[in-house]
Amino acid sequence: MLRITGGTIYDPANGINGEVRDLYIADGKFSSKFDAGRTIDATGMVIMPGGVDVHTHVAGGSINFGRARTPEDHRRTHAFIRSKTRRSGLGGMAPTTFATGYLYAGMGWTTVNEAAVPVLSARHTHEELNDIPIVDKSSLVLLANNEIILDLLEEGEDERAKQIMAWYIWAAKSYGVKAVNPGGVASWKYGNDSKHLTSKISGYDHITPGTIVTKYAKMIDELGIPHPLHLHCNNLGAPGNVETTLETMRHLEGSRAHFAHLQYHAYGGDDWGNMRSEAARLAEYFNAHTNMTTDAGAVLFGDTVTITADGPWQHLLYKLTGRKWGNLDVENETGCGIVPYTYRPSNLVNAVQWAVGLELLLLINDPWRVFLSTDHPNGACFWRYPEIIQLLMCADYRNECMANLPLNIKNKISLPEISREYTLYEIATITSAGPARSLGLKHKGNLGIGKDADLVIYHQDKDIARMFGHPRYVFKGGEIVIEEGDIRETPDGKEYLIQPFYEPDIDEFLRPRFEDRYCMSFENYPVEMERIEHAQIQKCTGDDAEDGDSQ
Amino acid sequence: MGGKVTCTLGEVKNRADFIVYWGGNPAECHPRHFTKYTLMQKSKFLPRGRKDRTVVLVDIRETKSAKAADHFLQVRPGKDFELLTILRALIKDQKVSEEQVAETGLSLEVLKDLIEKMKAAKFGVMFFGMGLSMTRGKHMNAAALLTLAAEMNAFTKFVAMPMRGHGNVTGADVIMRWQTGYPFGISLNRGYPRYNPGEFSTVDVLVRGDTDCAFIIGADPGATMPKPAIDHLAKVPTIVLDPHVTHTSRLSRVHITTAPAGIAAPGTGYRMDEVPMPLKPALQSPYPSDEEVVRRIRETIALRPDWMTNQPQMIEAQI
Ligand SMILES: [Zn+2]
Repeated sequence: MLRITGGTIYDPANGINGEVRDLYIADGKFSSKFDAGRTIDATGMVIMPGGVDVHTHVAGGSINFGRARTPEDHRRTHAFIRSKTRRSGLGGMAPTTFATGYLYAGMGWTTVNEAAVPVLSARHTHEELNDIPIVDKSSLVLLANNEIILDLLEEGEDERAKQIMAWYIWAAKSYGVKAVNPGGVASWKYGNDSKHLTSKISGYDHITPGTIVTKYAKMIDELGIPHPLHLHCNNLGAPGNVETTLETMRHLEGSRAHFAHLQYHAYGGDDWGNMRSEAARLAEYFNAHTNMTTDAGAVLFGDTVTITADGPWQHLLYKLTGRKWGNLDVENETGCGIVPYTYRPSNLVNAVQWAVGLELLLLINDPWRVFLSTDHPNGACFWRYPEIIQLLMCADYRNECMANLPLNIKNKISLPEISREYTLYEIATITSAGPARSLGLKHKGNLGIGKDADLVIYHQDKDIARMFGHPRYVFKGGEIVIEEGDIRETPDGKEYLIQPFYEPDIDEFLRPRFEDRYCMSFENYPVEMERIEHAQIQKCTGDDAEDGDSQ
Repeated sequence: MGGKVTCTLGEVKNRADFIVYWGGNPAECHPRHFTKYTLMQKSKFLPRGRKDRTVVLVDIRETKSAKAADHFLQVRPGKDFELLTILRALIKDQKVSEEQVAETGLSLEVLKDLIEKMKAAKFGVMFFGMGLSMTRGKHMNAAALLTLAAEMNAFTKFVAMPMRGHGNVTGADVIMRWQTGYPFGISLNRGYPRYNPGEFSTVDVLVRGDTDCAFIIGADPGATMPKPAIDHLAKVPTIVLDPHVTHTSRLSRVHITTAPAGIAAPGTGYRMDEVPMPLKPALQSPYPSDEEVVRRIRETIALRPDWMTNQPQMIEAQI
C-alpha cells in the first residue's frame, strides 16, 4: 500500500482541476483506503494520470526497417547502459525496444498505441511489443488496402467483408483498425495513387476511397470495436489537401472516426511554393462535428525519419528530398515506406507544417477530442513531447520561436493571431484522459478509485519543457518506475486486444481466397494467443456492461 | 540516392511479370523458390503463370538456373558494378560508350533490349545473390542494384530483394535490430550497443584474438572462417549449442546438444523477406531447445555480482 499526500491533482476524467488531495494505491489500483505503508510527500507538486499515446510507431517491421536505415543516428544519440535489472539500448529517431519503454516512462507516459501493423507480420510486432518494458500497449491493424476485403466490397458483399475484418483483427491479436490512404496503397501496387475520395483504385471498377472510409467506419461501429476507425486520410502532405480531408469528414458524418496526424492533412494552396495553413477552416468544421477525434501529428524542427504505410507519399518524399528511400510492399495487405527527413525552420513548407500542428491543437476547442502526438517518428520523436507542451502553454515562447520562421510565411499561417495558452488541466486531457477515452481504455487516464495506478508527479517549474521532461516520480501499476530521472523498476507492460465476433464458417470461406493471395499456409497465419505476453482482452460492443480488465 | 525498395514474396507471386536473378543460382541453392514464389505460380494478375512472366538471369557463368530463364546475360567476372551503373545511365537515356559496354562482356543492343523490357513490365523484381554481394565490389554492387531498382520506379513498379542464406539469418538480423539498433557486427563491451562491421564482426574479433570466450548457437564458423579465427576458437573456452556434431563443436570445450529448431523445437523463423513464420515442431526431442539452454545459463549468471552496477545509467552522446 502507498499514499501520496499534498499533491495538486489534475484529473480531467473526474473533473478535478488543480485540487490538493491525497491518493491511495493498493494492488496496482487507486484505492479509497490506506492502512499502512509508504507515504510520498508531493506537497507543491503537480499530479496527472500517466500519459497515453494514441498514435505512435514503436514496434514491428516498419520501424525496424527504419532502425536499419539510420545507423548514423544511433551513433550520435544517447545510449542506455545495461545494469543488472535493465537492458541496454539506444534512443534517437527510431529507438530500440527497451529504450522505447524507458524513454516513454521517463517522461510520464504509461500507455502507447502502435498505430500500423500489417497482419502478415503481426507476429513480429508482438515480439517487439513484448520487448518494450514498463508501458502498456495496444496495436491497430492495417486493413484499408486489404485486397480480399476490397474485393468483397467491390462484389457488394458488405456483410462478409465485415466478418473478414473481425477475423483479421483477431488473427493479428490486435486492438482495432487503422486505415492508411484507403485505396491509394492498393493503387501503389501498380505504381499509382488514389488521392481523392472519388479517385479510381487500380484493379477496381466500383469502389473508391470514399466507399472504403464510409463502409469501414460503419463496419467498425457495428462490430462494437472500442476505438473508432483510425484514419490516415488520402492525399497526405500535399498542398490543397484540406479539400480531401473535409470531404472525408463529410463522408463520415454519423459514424465515429479518429483522424490521425491531422497536421499532414490541413494544407491549402496548389503547389509547394504557395502552400498555406488551412487549420482554421478544418478546426471550424471539426469543432461543429462531435463524432470525430484527432491527434495533432505536430512537427518540430530537427532530424527524423518518416515511416508510413503510405507507399506513394514516401515515393514522392524521396523524389523531393533525394534522400535514401525504403519501401516494403506487403502482399494483399498494405505497404510501407521510409525516408529520413530534416524539418528546417528556414524551409517554408516545414515552417507551415510546424505552425499547422500547433494551430490545430490551439483552434480545436474541445481538449477531449484533440490529442498530443507527433506521429512518432514522422513529425518528431515522441521524447520531444515536452517541447510541444511548452509551445502550447506559453504564447510568449511561441512568439519567440516564430521569429525564426521565414518572412514570407506571413498570411500563410494563423498562429501569430492565436493567444490561447493551455492550462495544466487541458494538458492532462490531451495527453492522457482524452486519448484513453478515445481508445476505450476506461481504467487508463483516470485517477479514480479502482482505476490503474498509472500517474506522474512533476515539480512545479516555470520552464515547462523541463518540468514535463523530468518528472519527480512516475508510477506504473502502483509501482515507482522513475524517480528523479532514474529508472527504478522495469516491469512488463500489458497488451490490450479485442476479439470481435465473426461467424465460425468464415474460415472456410476465406481459405481459398487466402491461398490465392498469400504464400504462407492459412493455418500458420493467425498469431497464436500464447505469443502475447500479459494479454488483456477488452470487450467489444457498446453495452459498457463491464470493464474488460478482468482477465 | 536510392535506398531499399522491396516487397514480401507474395507480391512477387501475385504480380511480378518481370523477374531478374543476379549473381544467384536459385535452381540449386533455393530449390523451392521458383515453384513456391516466382516462376510457376499463377495468380489473379498473372493467370497463365510462367507464360505471363519474363525471367532474366545475370551471372558470370551459365548455371542450371539459366535453363529456367528466358534470357541469360553473361557478365564478365568482377564487372557487375560497371554493368549496373551502365544500366542506371541507360534508363535515364544518358550516353554510354561502346567501349564501356564492351568491358562488361555484353553488347549495347542486348542492354537496350533489356531496359525496354524492364520499362514495359508492370511489376519488376530483381533478386540478387552472393555472386553479386560477395564478389569484387561487395556491398557497392548490392547498393548499385538497389539503386537501379529504386530509380526504375520513375518508369514502373520495381523492387529488389537479396536471396538470403540458410537457417534463420534474417531472424537474427531482425532481432538484433530491434534490441540494439544494428543488424550484426555489434559490440556490447561498454554496456550499450556499438556497431562497426570490420571491427566488431565475429570474424574480425576472432582473428584479432579479442575474446576470451566464445558462445556459438546454430552456426559452424569452424567450417568457414579463416584459420587464425579457428585457431583462436580452439584456444579459448568455446561453447557450442547445436543439434549436430560440427567442425566447431569438435574444437569446442563444451558442446550442448539441442533440439533442432523447427523440427523438434518451436519458435519463429524469419523468411528472407522478413515475414515471420511460426515453427511448429513435428517431432519430440530428448534435448532441450537453444532457448531453454540460454535461459538457464542466463539465470545462473544472474546470481553472480554485476561488474557494471556502478556505471552511469545513461550517456548523452557516444564516442
Ligand atoms: Zn502514423
